Amino acid sequence: MESIFFYRDPDAAGTGSGPLQGLNMAIQPNVLVKGWPTDAGSNALANFTALDDAAVIGRLREAGALLCGSTRMSEFGFSLDGSRAGEALKENAADAEMVLDLMGESRLAAARAGVCGFKPSYGMVSSIGLVGLIPSMECWGLLCRDPGRIREILGTIAGPDPLDFSLSDEPAPDFSARAIEPGKTRIGIIPEAVSGLPGDCKNAFEAAVDEFKQAGFSVREFSLPDMGLFPLVHNIVGSVEASSCAGRYDSVRYGRRVPGAKNWNEMFLRSRGAAFGTLVKSYLFQGAYFQFERFEAYEDACRIRTRLIADMQKLSGQADFFIFPAAAAGNSDPGDFLGDIYEQFAATLFANVTGQPALYLPPASGTSASGFQLTGPRFSDARVLALGEHLVNLRQGGNG
Amino acid sequence: MEFEAIIGLEIHVELNCATKLFCDCPNRPGDEPNANTCPTCLWFPGAVPPRLSRDALEKAALICLGLGGELQPVSAFDQKVYYYPDLPKGYQLSQAHLPLSRGGGIDITDKNGKPKRLRIHHIHMEEDVARLVHEMEGRLPISLVDFNRAGAPLVEIVTEPDFRSPHDAMEFLKALRTQVRYVGSSECSMENGTMRVDANISVRPRGTEQMNTKVEVKNMNSIRHVGDAIAFEVDRQGAAVNAGEAVVLHTRLWDPEKKATVMMRAKFEGPCVPDPKVPAIELTPEYIEALRQRLPEMPAARAERFVAQHGLTSEEAVFLTSDPEVAVYFEALIEQGAAARTAMHWLTTQLMPAARQRGQEPGQTPVTPARLAGLLRMLSKDEINAKAAREVLTHMFDSDESPEAIVSARGFAQVSDSDELDSLIDKVLEEQPDAVAKVRGGQKKALGFLVGQVMQASAGKANPKIVQKLLAKKLGTN
Repeated sequence: MESIFFYRDPDAAGTGSGPLQGLNMAIQPNVLVKGWPTDAGSNALANFTALDDAAVIGRLREAGALLCGSTRMSEFGFSLDGSRAGEALKENAADAEMVLDLMGESRLAAARAGVCGFKPSYGMVSSIGLVGLIPSMECWGLLCRDPGRIREILGTIAGPDPLDFSLSDEPAPDFSARAIEPGKTRIGIIPEAVSGLPGDCKNAFEAAVDEFKQAGFSVREFSLPDMGLFPLVHNIVGSVEASSCAGRYDSVRYGRRVPGAKNWNEMFLRSRGAAFGTLVKSYLFQGAYFQFERFEAYEDACRIRTRLIADMQKLSGQADFFIFPAAAAGNSDPGDFLGDIYEQFAATLFANVTGQPALYLPPASGTSASGFQLTGPRFSDARVLALGEHLVNLRQGGNG
Repeated sequence: MEFEAIIGLEIHVELNCATKLFCDCPNRPGDEPNANTCPTCLWFPGAVPPRLSRDALEKAALICLGLGGELQPVSAFDQKVYYYPDLPKGYQLSQAHLPLSRGGGIDITDKNGKPKRLRIHHIHMEEDVARLVHEMEGRLPISLVDFNRAGAPLVEIVTEPDFRSPHDAMEFLKALRTQVRYVGSSECSMENGTMRVDANISVRPRGTEQMNTKVEVKNMNSIRHVGDAIAFEVDRQGAAVNAGEAVVLHTRLWDPEKKATVMMRAKFEGPCVPDPKVPAIELTPEYIEALRQRLPEMPAARAERFVAQHGLTSEEAVFLTSDPEVAVYFEALIEQGAAARTAMHWLTTQLMPAARQRGQEPGQTPVTPARLAGLLRMLSKDEINAKAAREVLTHMFDSDESPEAIVSARGFAQVSDSDELDSLIDKVLEEQPDAVAKVRGGQKKALGFLVGQVMQASAGKANPKIVQKLLAKKLGTN
């Protein structure tokens, strides 16, 4: 049984003070923590040690959180194969985990572990110190048992960072607790996101929707005919971006330099070939194909992405929140192929395409309901978490 | 078959910013190797992402305006992917899809003396790559990488294929260099590597309109070499086509010793992906107008003004305005009261050669416009003669004294006093009875000889015009 942790901090003992005092946080080795090995799950960075703390690490420490170590992750966080995300929580080795989310990993890891998983809006949290693969799709996600705790953590790490231009210029939103009034809150469902589910999953999702109706929320359907284009857009734009950006992970500087090459070019290409795993290599090859052979398809995918973002924004005017299923095909074990990965994440990757916040809530106990995702407009993170908190409190007999 | 050359240029200009394009490292490529680096420009995983330098943007935009380009409301950076040791992240940040400006151009005089407009297609910003140094360690060849230059801010100027001759290219580059220096954004020196030129060259039968396969030529480190390389390559391609060989797309290097272009390993190039982390540049009309107000008077306009205002010829004005520092120095002389033609003459024939000899620009020498104007004033008042003035100028390079002080201390004052000259003349006349007899006998050449003798006797200080007058009077030949 391989350890959940990739690295444990020998100096983790100590007492911090601040709003997160006592919080034991596990991260993944794609977050820079000074002095920690930071391989992002890849041989290409096998010898890389962080020189500085990521911006979020500084803020977490400042808020009193303790960093207990980094859990094992898949290569650059791409797919959950080999990832131990969520297990530190499950085994009570941590109170919260920070997990890279580029297709929905934080939400599906949460589903696997039976905890809450949250992907913040793109541009809500500084990405300085993030070692990733798809810059415009990825950000850090948070796993925790309780959405209220996620809200508190986000309150300390969100907000502008003058060194990160991908952040919003707006001041950090208010993450203090807030009330939800069911009678004034509109919940939307996109039927195209549900129609593809197998029968039992559809029933389980409908049972989850019932929880909202019983809680007094109005629930309506809003059609989005292009819902099925999200996986295609993520796949093409994501792979091209990954292929172009991954040049920095050459394995020559921090990984394994393949011996015996005749010249620099040969050594370089062989080292890259040896550094990446099959799945990431397939993804990079696909990206190179679209970039150099079918660039117009990449441009089309970018345009469709812009249109999908606009479509989602329009729907935000008709409902305050949307509920999405979390699993496309139940608990099937994903294969090693790109198609399998995209099938597994088909229900979650929309939020990475649009940059919206998305919160996974596990199912209410004692019901046949499935877990589900809550989402709202970009930068509505605080309200999405408040809704999740409201539901969880309701399940526990709260909100009186 | 007679061929016509079709030539376009790609010119990289290194901006004289204090810092690099995307980080705060000093932009000093010549420092101790790898002294000016940080996690951002070395592209460490997770490092602070690129942050565009405001200064670089301003200097680049001024070049665009100075060359008549239209600044784009939105421009953006792309990732130009290639793998080489000089590139730590596997791609170079450039602007392939949305350049900083489009259009613009430079007017030259072609080799037949006719005016010609050479158009610019676009101008974009780009980061430089590291420098590779190839050495031998015993028998082992090694390559060293110096990242001081990685991330240095560059502007690339891409022309239309409007050039038809080496002359066109050389004239364009001279004018471009002048205009970029005027704007103040770059040293723009090919010898120092702050301006680099690649030429895209193809040939076609004269009279046809087709565009044929081009060859890119690199590694030219002077404007003269650009001309030579183009001339060679045009001949080479013409000969190849006449021999029935196809011209294939590839890159060649100019070999200055062989005076020939040689084939270089081709590099792969393809579409660029927009960079998802570097924000797009958005320029407001107000920003562009504020920059336009900062544009200096450009060389063509200044040359016209010199003709109209100072009575110089067009050639003289163009020469003076081809270097902004020279033009500024010239106008400073005028402001100090110097006559235009005298100022131009002394600046171009005396001060500039002397400054160049000392490795300086005119404005960098101890001879300030005020001091030189003072010297020219003494000359115009006949207080010294031209010969003495040149000596005084030499001394002015070595001291801070005013020309008057130097003249007084070293006895350079021109003797114009008739009484003093009389005694000198009388002495010479006693010593040269033969010449005196010849003058009185009607031989005018002898008078010149006598003037020379008086000048010698006065150690060059006598006023030759007055000497001639006095001699003529004494000998009764006036």
